[in-house]
Amino acid sequence: MSSKFNKELQILVRDNVISPEISSKIEKYYANKAEGKPNSLFMIFGVFGALLIGSGIILMLAHNWDDFSRLTKTILAFVPLVIGQAMAGFSILKNKSNTWKEASGTFLFFSVGASISLVSQIYNIPGELGSFLLTWVVLCLPLIYLLRSHAVTLLVIVTSTYYAVQVGVWDYRCHATPWLYLIFLLGVIPHYWNILKRNVSGNAVTIFNWILPISVVVALSAFVGNGDVLGFVMYIIMFGLLYNIGRLSIFKELRTLRNGFLIIGSLGSVICLMIFTFRWIWEDVPDQFNYDAQEVYTTIVLAIVTLSVLGYATFKKGIRSINLFQIAFIIFGLVYFLLSSTGIIPIILMNLLVFALGMSAIRIGANKFNFGILNFGLLIISILIICRFFDTGMSFVIRGILFVLVGAGFFLTNYIMLKKQKVKKQ
Amino acid sequence: MKTTYIFIGFIALALVQIFAPLKMIYDNEDILTSGTVYKFKTRPIDPTDPFRGKYVTLQFQINSFATSDSTYVKGDKIRVYIENDEDGFAKIYQISKEPLDIKNDYVKAQVTYVYPDRVTFELPFNRFYMEETKAYDAEKAYAKANRDGVIDNVYALVYIKNGQSVLDNLIIDNMPIQEYVE
Repeated sequence: MSSKFNKELQILVRDNVISPEISSKIEKYYANKAEGKPNSLFMIFGVFGALLIGSGIILMLAHNWDDFSRLTKTILAFVPLVIGQAMAGFSILKNKSNTWKEASGTFLFFSVGASISLVSQIYNIPGELGSFLLTWVVLCLPLIYLLRSHAVTLLVIVTSTYYAVQVGVWDYRCHATPWLYLIFLLGVIPHYWNILKRNVSGNAVTIFNWILPISVVVALSAFVGNGDVLGFVMYIIMFGLLYNIGRLSIFKELRTLRNGFLIIGSLGSVICLMIFTFRWIWEDVPDQFNYDAQEVYTTIVLAIVTLSVLGYATFKKGIRSINLFQIAFIIFGLVYFLLSSTGIIPIILMNLLVFALGMSAIRIGANKFNFGILNFGLLIISILIICRFFDTGMSFVIRGILFVLVGAGFFLTNYIMLKKQKVKKQ
Repeated sequence: MKTTYIFIGFIALALVQIFAPLKMIYDNEDILTSGTVYKFKTRPIDPTDPFRGKYVTLQFQINSFATSDSTYVKGDKIRVYIENDEDGFAKIYQISKEPLDIKNDYVKAQVTYVYPDRVTFELPFNRFYMEETKAYDAEKAYAKANRDGVIDNVYALVYIKNGQSVLDNLIIDNMPIQEYVE
């Protein structure tokens, strides 16, 4: 227990708020509670230690020592691997603490990478970085379940995202689609689901709540081909999916900041839709839809998945629980595919949609007494107005009045809510 | 009981983890011991791989073949059949998308560009890992060799067997590049 807490207890006793007996009772209660818990600080340092040592070994091997013979290098390639395996095996066999498993798993992850990288250096194996990362992930993915390790899960997610982007975006010679990324993602999800069910507001879950959406958002770029505008459509659907996942009832108890799906989903939707409030992007939309077949299929699959999550939410909680952020991608899709060649209409509709999203965020914020969401809504509306500053022929007087109105809106809404909150507290 | 199963699973995984690099070693050693060696004229330049360190990228003189066949497209995997010229350097005998019934050794390559009368491609053994302090010197040494007119003396030693290849060393002026830069 922290010494700060003990000090507070002493102050409470001194000021006659609680009696010394109660103080010692409280102390005992927390001491007992802490006993059952593993020392999370120790675990974090263990993982960081293994992380640093493991990546240090990779860097040292990347020096490509010329003075060693091929045999010496080959033996060196296996030493860290065998040590890592021995440690991980020991922690499984003896059923050691999580700290052991996390640290040995992390170390083993890096030693697998070190050993395949050293072998490819020895023989100048031509494999591009993409195929190296692929082998690495395949060899380490099962560790997630054998060691039940969060750290290995995290490393697998990061490495497979790196693989997806490397293969699909950065490789200048040929862009392949990293389909295996999807398999890796499916391989990670059962572990995530397990810890989600056990303790939704645990720190590990929070980390995955952020890292998983970030990973899919980054990796989606590898699935977007050359049809740039359809790429936006895919992203808007993807953000809709993330938002809908974040709204599932399993995350209901979660504080907003711990729900990366919700935050990334709403931010992403608003940013992408904001782009479509400009005139120039609609001029890029082709009159005839002749896209790359693969892109179209990916978009369709993504849309089906998103609609089913939305359908599930509607079925479970009723249509009244659905907010505008959840269905923004449908509205956008209808406008994009049906009305894109009707001149000014889609631009007006998109402006209305973003404005409505802003209003909807303000309403959600006001209902939940959450100043963050409320001001997010106000921010959406102000950015929309600032954007319109550039590409409309509105007179300066009208623009000026609009700005004053929004500014006044900021003050008023926050003020009203503050008042309401005070009334509620009394 | 459960621990035992997990442990057995782990042992299986550990064996696969050891087997993967061992198989890579075995395949490459096999080519080095029983493959045929060829000399490919080349030009080294120096980039970095984040995990495997410094290497020199080789740009081979053999990188295109004159053909009027218009069925090749960018990204095609092709077989480049090779033979030795009178100076003992590798030259192209034929390229093909399908296996040909000839005795020549071949390497697998990827088409990088298609011109109306010519196909350019990239040979698979274009990375040569070097000690990090030497990779840049290697590029400089090559530039010097180029100036001195000994350019014909820069080549890669490549072992080839059944279409698989191992880049064994890079030779400048009859010296392995590691010694040449020292």
